[in-house]
Amino acid sequence: MNSPSAAPDALASAPAAAARATQGEQRSDPQRVLADRVEQLYSQMPLGIVFTLIIGAIATYELYDTRTRELVLFWWGLVLLITAARTALWLGYRKSTDRIGEARQWLRWLAISALANGANWGFAGAVFFPSHTDEQQVFLAFLLAGIASAGIPTYAASWPMFALYAAAVVLPFAYVLANFGNRLFVEIAVLVPLFYLANVGIAYRLNQVFHSGYRLRHAYGRLTEDYTTLNQRLERQLVELDEARRQVEASGRKLALFAERAPIAVLELDAQGHIQQINHAAENLFGWPSNEVATRKPSVKILIRPEYHAEFDKQWAELMQSRAPVAHLRVRNPRRDGLEVVCEWNVTPLVNSEGEVVGVIAQGQDITRQMEADKLKKEFTSTLSHELRTPLTSIIGSLQLINSGVLGELDKDIADLTGVAERNGQRLLDLINDILDVEKIESGNLAMVPEVLSLDELVSESLVLNRGFAERFKVRFEVGGALLPVKVHADRKRLLQVMTNLLSNAAKFSPQGEAVQVVMQDQRDRVRIAILDRGPGIPESFRGRIFGRFAQADSSVTRQKGGTGLGLAICKRLIELMDGHIGFSNREHGGTEFYFDLPKHATT
Amino acid sequence: MPAQPLQRVCYVEDDEDIRKIVRMSLERIGKFTVEVVGDPMVAIEAMKAFKPELVMLDWMMPGMDGPTLYRKMREVPEVRDLPVVFITAKASEKELNELRSLGAAGTISKPFSPKDLPEQLREIWQRIPGPAG
Repeated sequence: MNSPSAAPDALASAPAAAARATQGEQRSDPQRVLADRVEQLYSQMPLGIVFTLIIGAIATYELYDTRTRELVLFWWGLVLLITAARTALWLGYRKSTDRIGEARQWLRWLAISALANGANWGFAGAVFFPSHTDEQQVFLAFLLAGIASAGIPTYAASWPMFALYAAAVVLPFAYVLANFGNRLFVEIAVLVPLFYLANVGIAYRLNQVFHSGYRLRHAYGRLTEDYTTLNQRLERQLVELDEARRQVEASGRKLALFAERAPIAVLELDAQGHIQQINHAAENLFGWPSNEVATRKPSVKILIRPEYHAEFDKQWAELMQSRAPVAHLRVRNPRRDGLEVVCEWNVTPLVNSEGEVVGVIAQGQDITRQMEADKLKKEFTSTLSHELRTPLTSIIGSLQLINSGVLGELDKDIADLTGVAERNGQRLLDLINDILDVEKIESGNLAMVPEVLSLDELVSESLVLNRGFAERFKVRFEVGGALLPVKVHADRKRLLQVMTNLLSNAAKFSPQGEAVQVVMQDQRDRVRIAILDRGPGIPESFRGRIFGRFAQADSSVTRQKGGTGLGLAICKRLIELMDGHIGFSNREHGGTEFYFDLPKHATT
Repeated sequence: MPAQPLQRVCYVEDDEDIRKIVRMSLERIGKFTVEVVGDPMVAIEAMKAFKPELVMLDWMMPGMDGPTLYRKMREVPEVRDLPVVFITAKASEKELNELRSLGAAGTISKPFSPKDLPEQLREIWQRIPGPAG
């Protein structure tokens, strides 16, 4: 529902229509009412134009023989000219794109045209009335009265326009009558303005009626519009509400199912800490039947040792205060049968939109076994690190002394066997050390002791320390290029461990007589150590898991040359703990390059 | 650096097998004069009698651990200035630093190689600052 002018608008291009719609929204109401009146006035124009032509033609025909022909033709010309102008005005208005915004302007043009039209009739009355025949005077008086009164319906939507128009029609005529010298005519001349005023009064009243009619129509239109919008919005909200209700129901069912079937204990408590409901797992874990709990609603303190009740009350009060969820709360919970379990609890207060706690959800996971396992693991690690290493130290130490020859020369077969025993003892020790390292890394217990150290000196030291590997596998360790005097912030012992791992790997896999090269490269804010061998390279299938645990491309190598398969996994982790990066690539003409990058220490 | 090469070494260690190996290593390979003590409670008396130039202490011993024994030695005038080397399997870096700041001459990590042990001791010996002046 819109103003009538909106209907043709709809045919205009969409953006223009949209722009107009916005303009329309912004227009004040009186503007729209005015526009409607202008629309009404223009809608009467075609009829007015047609009648003007017909009546003008009849008048011209009637006067043609009795009046000066040139004058009659001139007047007819004026009729045609004004009619053409009015037609053009009407067409212009029809084609206008902003009738609401330009309403006042269109009204002004219409007033001018009405004045011109009226004045033309007034001209006819004044010029052609002084005549020889009374019949023609009657004709003219009748004509002008008709023309003037026809203006009432035509211009009723704007009484000033009618006043202008009718004045232009009748006042010149009244003037001519008054000066005609005839008493009857003088009397008529006096009556004409009276009739004119009466007509203007009628037009004014009509105009008022029109005006309030338009206002009413607009108010009604707006109401209907509002009502329709409201209705649509309500309908939409109803649909959304219904959808929301369905979702809530579905998720409610899902939640209930989750809680009921969850492998962890779930308790629903009220704000005072009384248990409202428990799930199946809680029933099993604590030995309280859920139906008994649901009817008795006991305090959650039945799951807490009496000596901790005071502490619990304090923490509960804090929870009610903060209303924030608490996670990973470890509590030793007594069961109904008196035994105890250790649970890890997540406690979530449920808060409504007013900020009140309406309940608390407690989810508990039985970690009794996990804690036992953790304890066992710790004990095992400790056993490994001390109880296993001590005897191994004695075994390896004894064999080393024997094999060193200081106790006297050995028979060759015996020396071979004690050599085997020493090597395998060493392997066992390496494995234990590596497992301990991995355990430390994974449990986060590996403490780095970083210090500022000269990387070039550390590389030289590592080459000296690992000479044994070079001798054993009959390869040479060489420095490629110059060692750069670079400082890094790193753990000395752990960095040496990485070097030992990479150098021993390179030595192990190099053909006898080959050189293993160590190269230092400056990479702006980082420094790279690369260890290059001429070994068989890394098989394609092994590349993805080379830094994984117990990773060895060919397990038979372990038996021949030693190694635990943990070395590179440890190296990767160690280098990463020192903010570095470790990697490898194949060399041209065979062999592998292992490298690690470390950030340079910023010397200030 | 002390004027004399290292000659007399005393080793306190509860494990009998390790004692045996270390004695053999130090005597046969290192050609040192060696005294080994199994009971830390009598160690200080043994040191007073033996008059070593350097003492090696095991870190973990039942009854009294190495660091405690070391602190006790600092209270006995006859042995308080003896350079001490700790043999340790699992001391944390923090504890080691603490010992160094107390004046320990060095540490050797366990398990050690008996073949290299004399050489390691000599290196530590050479790093010890000589008598003032």
